[in-house]
Amino acid sequence: MGLEGEATDAEVVRAVLAGDVERYAVLVRRYRDRYARYASRMLGSRDVAEDAVQDALVRAFDRLADCREPDKFAGWLFLILRNRCFAERRRRQRTERSLDSTDEMFAAPDRPDGEYEQVERAHALQQALQHLTPEQREVFVLKHMEGLAYEEIAGVTGATVASLKMRMHRAYDRLRELMKEHL
Amino acid sequence: MTTGYHPLVKRLLDGELSLAELPPELRVEGEEALRLVGAADRTPVALSSALEERVMATVRRHAASPGNRAWRWLNTPRDVELRLRVRPWTVWAGALAAAAALALLLGRPAPEPVPGAQARGGTRDSVLVRFVLYAPGARRVAVAGTFNQWDRGAAPLVPAGSGVWTTTLALPVGKHQYAFVVDGARWVADPGAPAVDDGFGRRNSVVAVSALGAHL
Repeated sequence: MGLEGEATDAEVVRAVLAGDVERYAVLVRRYRDRYARYASRMLGSRDVAEDAVQDALVRAFDRLADCREPDKFAGWLFLILRNRCFAERRRRQRTERSLDSTDEMFAAPDRPDGEYEQVERAHALQQALQHLTPEQREVFVLKHMEGLAYEEIAGVTGATVASLKMRMHRAYDRLRELMKEHL
Repeated sequence: MTTGYHPLVKRLLDGELSLAELPPELRVEGEEALRLVGAADRTPVALSSALEERVMATVRRHAASPGNRAWRWLNTPRDVELRLRVRPWTVWAGALAAAAALALLLGRPAPEPVPGAQARGGTRDSVLVRFVLYAPGARRVAVAGTFNQWDRGAAPLVPAGSGVWTTTLALPVGKHQYAFVVDGARWVADPGAPAVDDGFGRRNSVVAVSALGAHL
């Protein structure tokens, strides 16, 4: 276990490419939960997010030989998962599945003070996020839920800081409109 | 109809201003905005414990498929034993041909990038492939691809003068994707070879190596 924990991503990737398929489990354990929150908030459902994370991990294995920089496996896997999340949103929009029907969504967090109003507001925000564009939702999730700075978000998404801020500011306005009864 | 937030309130939400820095008339709006982002759920999400086993079961199945085994074999680095039987005159002829090719390249009116991948010879399992890039001003150039695990330091090109960089590699038979790495950081597709999208917005060049040589 100690050795597994010490192996770098690049070492594990090279071992898997050399034929040691079982070593891939190290990367699965290392990253299975890291992006779970991002996928859950992007897709509005933990079950759908779990499918997305699973697909991304399998797709990363299938394309491991294309991973140009094995020491940046985490970022590469994130891009695969991100593409998967965006594709899932498009698929759901095509099939006209209502984005309002997110009752399957995870429960609002338990608050130590148990204030009903705050729990309601968290639930309302989760539903409101599903009414943003995927790009607006992503920047909100990465900044206010994952805690990334704009520069870090630019690094993982390829967008400029200026365009990210524009998306976010539109998201603030849209969320204010959607959440007006809960603020 | 609710109007949008004031630009200063948006800067508050972005963390660029504090509530105390807002003008007094915007503080109520600022507090409301903070309640909005404060409702963001940051609790970790744990996925099913069975996910790992599902992924590994799929991965094992994919790894065992004949197509995947072949692809993996093509991409696995291995030592290639070269047994070239040459006569002295072929060495001189080769050197003359290389010099002539270089002169032809340098005689071009415009500094166009020079296409890479030219086959020379090798064994039944491998073929010598010459990579050439015209990169004036570069301090170092390397070629990385599926044949060397995209290792940026594994296959440096050497300067041949006038901005031309070159190296020759023994590539196993099969189809390979590659790109040049200029100054250790900038990825450059071979301008003289077909390219494919790597799925993440970048272009990889492609060379197909058969027992008869390399084909772009």
